[in-house]
Amino acid sequence: MSPVSIRCLVSALACAGLIAPAAAQAPAAPPSWKQGMTPEQEKSTLHPFAPNMTGRPASELPLDKLKVPDGFKVEVWADGVPEARSLALGDKGTVFVSNRIGKNVYAVVDRDGKREVKTLLKGLNTPNGVAFSKGTLYVAERDRITRYDGIEGKLDNPPEAKVVVDGLDPQNQPGHFWKFLAMGPDGKLYYNVGAPGNIVMPGYFQASISRVDPRTGVVENYAQGVRNSVGFDWNPKTKQLWFTDNGRDWLGEDSPSDELNVAKRMGENFGYPYCHQGDTLDPEFGKHRSCKDFTPPVLKLGPHVASLGMRFYTGKMFPAEYRDNVFVARHGSWNRNTKQGYDIYRVVLSAQGKVVKAEPFLTGFLIDEKADPPMWGRPVDVLVMKDGSMLFSDDYNGILYRISYKK
Amino acid sequence: MRRSRSLRGGAAAAAAFAVALPLLFFAAGAPGADIEAGRKKAEVCAACHGPSGNSSNPVIPSLAGQPAQFISMQLYQFREGNRKDAQMTPLAANLSNADMNDLAAFFAAQTPAAPSHKSDPANTAAGPKLTQQFNCVQCHGPRLLGQQHIPRIAGQQYDYLRTQLRAFKAKTRADFDGNMSAATEPLNDKDIEVLADYISGLVTP
Repeated sequence: MSPVSIRCLVSALACAGLIAPAAAQAPAAPPSWKQGMTPEQEKSTLHPFAPNMTGRPASELPLDKLKVPDGFKVEVWADGVPEARSLALGDKGTVFVSNRIGKNVYAVVDRDGKREVKTLLKGLNTPNGVAFSKGTLYVAERDRITRYDGIEGKLDNPPEAKVVVDGLDPQNQPGHFWKFLAMGPDGKLYYNVGAPGNIVMPGYFQASISRVDPRTGVVENYAQGVRNSVGFDWNPKTKQLWFTDNGRDWLGEDSPSDELNVAKRMGENFGYPYCHQGDTLDPEFGKHRSCKDFTPPVLKLGPHVASLGMRFYTGKMFPAEYRDNVFVARHGSWNRNTKQGYDIYRVVLSAQGKVVKAEPFLTGFLIDEKADPPMWGRPVDVLVMKDGSMLFSDDYNGILYRISYKK
Repeated sequence: MRRSRSLRGGAAAAAAFAVALPLLFFAAGAPGADIEAGRKKAEVCAACHGPSGNSSNPVIPSLAGQPAQFISMQLYQFREGNRKDAQMTPLAANLSNADMNDLAAFFAAQTPAAPSHKSDPANTAAGPKLTQQFNCVQCHGPRLLGQQHIPRIAGQQYDYLRTQLRAFKAKTRADFDGNMSAATEPLNDKDIEVLADYISGLVTP
């Protein structure tokens, strides 16, 4: 390994700054999604898929391809929500929808069965995380978390942002710089800081899930070794934190798997960048390490499926066997020649909270696993509504769908 | 792993009955968008971007044959205020998402003209190495023809390319995901000159 690439391990960004003036002929840092390729993979044509920021009207999509189990129904709940990402539900029924590439947060209001999409907040910096608690909307931007109190009474005239915590991205990090956000049962806001690249040595607050007390602004590092979690929720029975984590790229078609993890307490390490999927040492960072030092996942969600949003199903509309199941939005693979994912995945737990079964629940977005692009839609987050139905977002088309059940 | 096998089976079954129509609309680039409607809406664009989106003005980009998703994405960025330009910002302000998709479909369907720019032979010789070294080919593709939301830069107007590279480096041009800001960070003025001159003279297919 060259001295330059050793420096890159410490911080990809610092590395770019260090080498530029010193050695103009040294290769520049590759785009973060290409980082970690082997020499044999350099000719690969695999690439991430970008959303259609202008969205696509539901009337132009092959909605009849979507499949759900017998008795369930899937329909478009709202379209025209550009790059719909994370979801949060207000006490009065407002559905808040975030952007990752866009800069807006939307509020979708249901009035007598008709949905009105309002652009609630504009000009934010990568506002991927939204959470609602006790009348307040919290938004996680790239570098800060803010609050908007009493938001549901002010949808047409939202208040100024109040900062809960800032300085969350002091180095303008590359790689995974967007944040997921959720309110924990302890009244603290949980958010992730992703790894600053595909496979790099993270800083202390990177590749982690942190929490901040909105009353005091005090931050704690809750879980480490988490490459990039874009979904978490608390088990309604145990109150433990469950979260998805996206596995690294360029380690092969079937390796490593995304993870579904449980943090039983503060301070656990889930392996990144040393150990993947609980049992696979990284070829570079895993040397001299043991996977036994890290908490393994409770379920492997599949290689390169981009497992994003996840929630426990706490509603009463679905049949009893769906109660307290975990639903995971698998955004779908790009770093794989044969594509997979692009579905809503169902994870069934025993009374003791052990995973007993996992299977695709909603399918049909994936059309041709060898095509480019292979899909016509991509699920990002799921949300259980008050009536027990479930919404999910699709950033590729800017659409929210509703899944309901009737005997 | 058993689970992923059953998933693949399900995906294959889904693919089996979801054949021609969706693939056709993927091929068009902007599903559901209307090229003819786009042609009408694009009349105002021709004044600067040239007939059929082939610009002859070195500071104005050619749009002909660009990936549809690139066109719609940039119009979105202008409308939302993420990318700013004295001419484009007011033009994009009143466009709907459907307008943008139609315009994207129209320009994507046009044939790019051969570039008028003549590269300095020294830059033509140095260019390929630089496009590797600075990772241009990683996203724009081996022939710099673009894909999805990433533009074709081969044969693009010289002054425009130079201005954009400088703006990305200065972080004054909206960046989709940080890749262009990172890619331009190590470029010096000479690199930018050589890259713009070389790329602008590349013949498009």
